[in-house]
Amino acid sequence: MKRVLGRLGHALFVLWAIASLTFLLFRLMPGDPTLNFLSESFSDEMRLALLNAFGLDKPLHEQYLLYMWSLLQGDFGVSFLQKRPVLDILLEALPNTAALTVSALVVAYAFGIIAGAYLAFARGTVVEGIAIPAALITRAAPEFWLGMILLAWLSFGLGIFPASGANVAGSEFTSEWARLTSADFLWHLVLPALTLALYLQGLPLLLMRATMLEVLNDEFIVMARMKGLSRWAIVMRHAARNALLPVATAFALGLGQSFGGNVVIETVFSWPGLGRVLVSAVQGADYPLAQGAFIMIAGVLVLMNMVADLLYAWLDPRVSVGAKR
Amino acid sequence: MNRRTLLLAATSLTALPHLEALAQAGQGDPVRPLVLLTRPQAGAPAAYQAAELIAQEWRKLGLQVELRPMPNQAHSQVVWNERQRWDATMWQMVGRPERGDPDELVFNLFHSANIATGFNFVGYNNPEYDVLAQAQRVEMDQPRRQQIVRQVQELVNRDQPYAFLVHPVNLQAFNKQVFAEASAVNQAGLGIRNFWNWIGLTPTGRQRDIIVNSTEPVKATNPFYISGAPDSWVTDLVWDRMMRVGPDGLPRPWAAETVTQVDATTIDCVLRAGMTFHDGAPVTVDDVVFSFEAPGMGNESPMYRPFVQNIESVSATDARTVRFKLKNPDAAFRISVLAKLNIVSKATWAPVLADYQNRPQNLESYVEERPIGSGPYRFVRSRVNEEVVLEANPNHWAKPKADRWIMRIITNIEATLGAFRRGEINVIADYTGDPDLLKGMAQSQATMIAIREGVDIGFQFVGMNNRRPPFSDPAFRRAMSAAVNREMMAGAAWNGQAVPSNSLVSPALSAWHLPGIEGRVPGANLEGARRLLQEAGYRIVNGRLHYPPGVRETTPAFQ
Amino acid sequence: MQSASAVSGHPAKPGAVRRAWGFLRSQPFAFVGIAIYLLFALVAIFADQVATHDPRQILFSGTFRVARYLPPSMTHFLGTTAGGRDVFSQLVYGTRSALTVGVTAAFCVVVLGTLFGLLSGYLGGWVDRLVMRIADVVIGLPFLPFVLVISALTRPSTTTLVASVALLLWPNTARVIRSQVLSLRERGWVEAARVTGCSPTRIIFVHIAPQVAPLAALYGSIAVGWAILTEASASFLGFGDPSAISWGLMLQDAFNNQALSRGVWAWFIPPGLCIVLLVLAGFLISRGSEKLLFPKLGD
Repeated sequence: MKRVLGRLGHALFVLWAIASLTFLLFRLMPGDPTLNFLSESFSDEMRLALLNAFGLDKPLHEQYLLYMWSLLQGDFGVSFLQKRPVLDILLEALPNTAALTVSALVVAYAFGIIAGAYLAFARGTVVEGIAIPAALITRAAPEFWLGMILLAWLSFGLGIFPASGANVAGSEFTSEWARLTSADFLWHLVLPALTLALYLQGLPLLLMRATMLEVLNDEFIVMARMKGLSRWAIVMRHAARNALLPVATAFALGLGQSFGGNVVIETVFSWPGLGRVLVSAVQGADYPLAQGAFIMIAGVLVLMNMVADLLYAWLDPRVSVGAKR
Repeated sequence: MNRRTLLLAATSLTALPHLEALAQAGQGDPVRPLVLLTRPQAGAPAAYQAAELIAQEWRKLGLQVELRPMPNQAHSQVVWNERQRWDATMWQMVGRPERGDPDELVFNLFHSANIATGFNFVGYNNPEYDVLAQAQRVEMDQPRRQQIVRQVQELVNRDQPYAFLVHPVNLQAFNKQVFAEASAVNQAGLGIRNFWNWIGLTPTGRQRDIIVNSTEPVKATNPFYISGAPDSWVTDLVWDRMMRVGPDGLPRPWAAETVTQVDATTIDCVLRAGMTFHDGAPVTVDDVVFSFEAPGMGNESPMYRPFVQNIESVSATDARTVRFKLKNPDAAFRISVLAKLNIVSKATWAPVLADYQNRPQNLESYVEERPIGSGPYRFVRSRVNEEVVLEANPNHWAKPKADRWIMRIITNIEATLGAFRRGEINVIADYTGDPDLLKGMAQSQATMIAIREGVDIGFQFVGMNNRRPPFSDPAFRRAMSAAVNREMMAGAAWNGQAVPSNSLVSPALSAWHLPGIEGRVPGANLEGARRLLQEAGYRIVNGRLHYPPGVRETTPAFQ
Repeated sequence: MQSASAVSGHPAKPGAVRRAWGFLRSQPFAFVGIAIYLLFALVAIFADQVATHDPRQILFSGTFRVARYLPPSMTHFLGTTAGGRDVFSQLVYGTRSALTVGVTAAFCVVVLGTLFGLLSGYLGGWVDRLVMRIADVVIGLPFLPFVLVISALTRPSTTTLVASVALLLWPNTARVIRSQVLSLRERGWVEAARVTGCSPTRIIFVHIAPQVAPLAALYGSIAVGWAILTEASASFLGFGDPSAISWGLMLQDAFNNQALSRGVWAWFIPPGLCIVLLVLAGFLISRGSEKLLFPKLGD
């Protein structure tokens, strides 16, 4: 328990540092946020009024304290362009990103674990000779490039999957949960999640294979084999359990990293997620929104890094919390 | 008298050919390297390509031209806020319904009142122009006003403050298996992305929704604030206006049954009977009066306030009549005010307005749970980066033929085509991609896809900084403009999806456009440009263009 | 993500080069990786000779008619783009920018990571705590979003891109180097150097640094791939250096012009394949050298 608290405190420190860094980054940004309002009707006086409304005319340290205080209360400010609370906008996009990331990771890890375990046994065969480079290649390919090719082939070409969005136009649902579990949503999810999974599966596959190889050569396995236990039983009882440790840790880390890395996939598939909120906010110089999206993505990453550490400690009693990976 | 002036005097008097070399020795300084600003290829591929082509042509005149791609924000920052600093920039004016009247562009772009902070960022300053711009604004007689607007275009052609490039041609498509082809309405300069089409498009089968694409997200749905073109397409449908710009580009009565010009500064509007807001409350003259007063109260709606500045007073004279008294006559009042301001419910907005007058924020940040207007469509919901859903208002006197109007946000243009082919969307109203592809698709699926094309109200141009030499010299600007082949711009940069331009009034506005002006650019071509420069005293020495005799280069190069 | 506990503890010997060569021959993966690197390096160095056209020049096929979408031919090996530029020449010059981005980013990651790892591991104390705290914060920064924000805040350029990649990737290297240093500093020969009066600077950079160099190089070869992929993604989203000629921008240009719908495969497949090959080469080399460094894994 003390460990968990310690780790939590650590995560909070990191979050504070990131929030401060973000504040500085966005305040030191050149260019004027009010430039978005370029129009014949926008005068200097209105420009100042806008800066005032967003507190941008106050001294920097005052702005900082205000910003931190608001963040602590869960207030991310108001979007420059949409004039809505940033948090509302982010929470609208969050479920879509979460669904995409989690489903892609689950698929990638399910596949990677099974394939990796299999490849550990198939050592030295032709299958291995093909599968390992193939896994490396999918990891080396730019996601958007892969995504566009899949989209052109399976959607525009064969017409199997929808070309854009997360739901059929104008579909009605009783609740957000009903929307996320609807067949329609899942059908839209397939192609983006598949692309992301293709990119992600390389890591668990290689990790699983390497750990399995290591474990299989361990003395106790050799002993077990001599005792006449079946191959399958050995794998299930010892090897898989040992391999779980690095794979589970990688899963948690991957979840955090993919959250922000989805930006590209979301753009290709017109997926209404956090990444696109960030990109369009940055492009439109909607600073409060861009800042909020960045902090939220970073928050998930920090959280998952913490979970990974705790998982590691929990699954492997030899390691104490705080030891570095 | 020094030796150079003596020599110059000698050449001008005698014009002996062998003295030409000596005259060149007395030529002005070489023109500094010029920087042409542009948005990056990723953001504006056509304009970027155009900029490269223009730079190639200008270099043939002995100029050193550097292309400087800048991100949108930084680009606006320089052009708008550092007006002394830059040489030339790629820029555009987009088509909007209220630009169907030439007043907005004529007045804002080149009137000297807008040089310091307004839209005249190129700094064009000509008293002769100011007189004409003011004259067309107060001229109430249509033929006489048309005459003035043509004079304006002649003057712009002479002085070339911009090098106009092209008017884009909108390419749009809809699915005619879903909608009756004849029901589609085209609006001059806007194509099928217009109010009349959205209420007129008639479904023939089971799909009863209009599903239209947008490449940009909708940001706000607020009668007192818009933050981009897609926002205005939505507000257009949810809120009614007293008048609307018709398919012919002229204002026509809408929520007002009749609009009467009592005298030069008095206008009477009779409100249509039986109108209701989406919550069932009737639309009254009080609502109308409030709608035109609210933007002027304090600084609650910076976006709409300028439009009510010319209103002296607005009052209800009886249960159905609203009277507008103007400070100055305004020929464009109907299109730029009556057809622009949204009619809002006083019951909803008066308390909000009162509340916001005591707050640091203004009315723009008030978000209605569910926006209430009286327009032909009712607001249902808006989801960020995904879609906006409106439904037909069955109680409206101009009830839409479709059941719902849904705008899908698809940033990936390739996916837009894919979605259209698969029926995920049935109208492409915002197409920035390769025209050949859409046209080819329409040809191969002739029973499904109908194409509409029309010249846009907007235009693309090179803004030349009239404050800075050599662009301060009209002769130099004429030559720069002449060097640009507009046919090539249309073909090579805008994929053939544009027509040559040489005016701030698009040919789409046939009532105002000066016919044939695009073929009358002074100098006409690269050869002509060389001749113009020669005549103005510029010379090419050792491959570099030099100023006329006696002119020093004192302007610092950009950055 | 590999455990760094297994460390080859003896100083490098002169036979290492020959051993490496022998190893390469027995390790086809690493061999292929190095061959790919060499090939691209040659193309980058001789880009002026290999390219058939100026990659930026707009080509014309008649008066005022831009040579758009020419099919592959003997003059244009991969045809031309929508803007009338030669695809093959862009691809060739793109190699230059890819290698520049990849190698400089990797170099910065290696230098920063090694430096901080060495200092942190050897000096310990507050230096260690400070460096590791900073590393924790940096690891909490989402990768691509950070790069995008930085490009948007400054002028998007290759320099800012490389800098932000280096800024984000050094902590991984530093952590691993640090843990290796922690075990190295307890070794006898380090102790001996200390007793004979060597300054800490000398011990760190002369005695310990060479020992951790191969490990740093391993992380460097992974950083090459990361940097190139990041450049491509940033370019695709419109945050790339607008004046560069890179594979990422080529792909972005191709997608913007709907090369897919047009079926202009020769335009958008080759840049993607080049990225795959170059990044793959980094992976292959790192896998190979992993086995060199951690023979236990290679079994």
